[in-house]
Amino acid sequence: MTSALPPDSIVVGASSRMRAVFEFLRVIQDSESTVLITGESGTGKEVTATLIHQTGRRKQFPFVAVSCALFSETLIESELFGHERGAFTGAIKDRPGRFELADRGTIFLDDIDDVPLAMQVKLLRVLQNRTIERLGGTRTVPVNVRVIAGAKRDLRRLVQEGRFREDLYYRLNVLPVALPPLRERREDIPLLTDHFLRRYFRRNGEDEPPVSDAVRQLFMQYDWPGNVRELENACERIAQTCVCGTIRIGCIAASILFGATATGPAPPAPRQPALDAALPATARAAADQSALIALDDQLRVLESRLIRWALDVSHGNKSKAAALLQIKRSTLGDRIKRCGLDPGGGAAGSGPSAAAEDGRHPHDQT
Amino acid sequence: MMTKAQVEGVLERVRPFLQADGGDIVVVGISGNTVDVRLLGTCAGCPSAEMTLQVGVAAALRDAIPEFESLRVV
Repeated sequence: MTSALPPDSIVVGASSRMRAVFEFLRVIQDSESTVLITGESGTGKEVTATLIHQTGRRKQFPFVAVSCALFSETLIESELFGHERGAFTGAIKDRPGRFELADRGTIFLDDIDDVPLAMQVKLLRVLQNRTIERLGGTRTVPVNVRVIAGAKRDLRRLVQEGRFREDLYYRLNVLPVALPPLRERREDIPLLTDHFLRRYFRRNGEDEPPVSDAVRQLFMQYDWPGNVRELENACERIAQTCVCGTIRIGCIAASILFGATATGPAPPAPRQPALDAALPATARAAADQSALIALDDQLRVLESRLIRWALDVSHGNKSKAAALLQIKRSTLGDRIKRCGLDPGGGAAGSGPSAAAEDGRHPHDQT
Repeated sequence: MMTKAQVEGVLERVRPFLQADGGDIVVVGISGNTVDVRLLGTCAGCPSAEMTLQVGVAAALRDAIPEFESLRVV
């Protein structure tokens, strides 16, 4: 039904996919048009809708979120449009619907893909005429509401399958926002992990403990079918159960631990060739996993792991870290951004000074 | 009949991660279709870790080995 997101809900991401989303949201900031947010369950549709509302012109008016998945047809209608006394058994008094409650503000119709066809017609009429009629009522009530719809499935496909009205689809799909699944923006995982751990440990009045490399590695490797919500829940769980002062593999839910290491239906696949022994242990742990690996993902994991290692060893001094990695200071900055490792102040910069100190061996400084 | 190799094959999946964190999981014994394992190193004695492995290892063994019946963390 409706839900009130905690006030500290924000959209987090430094990946190119998320930057594109933020960029688009900024472009449409002053628009009053209907937005269609598409994304798998847990990708942050409601958080994004809230963000759109809070940055828009209607921010001082209500934001009302409704899931259209939970109700029978009559219930959706009564929920959205309200009812008059006696409209049906149990309707003992007049009740305004969500559209009326959202007057001058924004209504977020989540799970729009679950709305039955018959109800879609009524919704279309409301969107076209900007008026509603309460169930059992005769009065036509004008509504001044900005509409944001959320869908976890591809509405275009539902249209092709005859399960979603084409006219409603076009009415909704004025400003489309596509939220990528977490597995397609893995570089945001460290940033999100730190964000959620900080939130949940702070809620307990504690500072977040350090996270072991193995856990970071595992989180990068896992596919997160429940997306950001699943990652958030994993972090909340850790904040409740970790007692040893470091977040280690043992703190991680079994479903994630084994989900990340699943070998799939095939019998044990051949081992991956061992990576250079000089690499940190977790890089080798990745290579120990059998089954399919995506080279690009693995390289990204490895890259962010090595950068993190260099930043740790150099206590956040980026010039020193760049020297350790034998790359330029500016290159390191770019890569930190690309890997989403820079949570803004986590690792202190070392001022504008530049270039790597050439010729120094990494081990000299460890 | 369940073999030790089958059990080890399942444990191998998570072992690299445990070892990277200074821990390990070892098979203490197999009797019939019951497996006894022990947690070693860093996470040994941590209630969360034992719960994780109890649930996770049992589920993974059940998926991989049809005869598997129960897991004891000893």
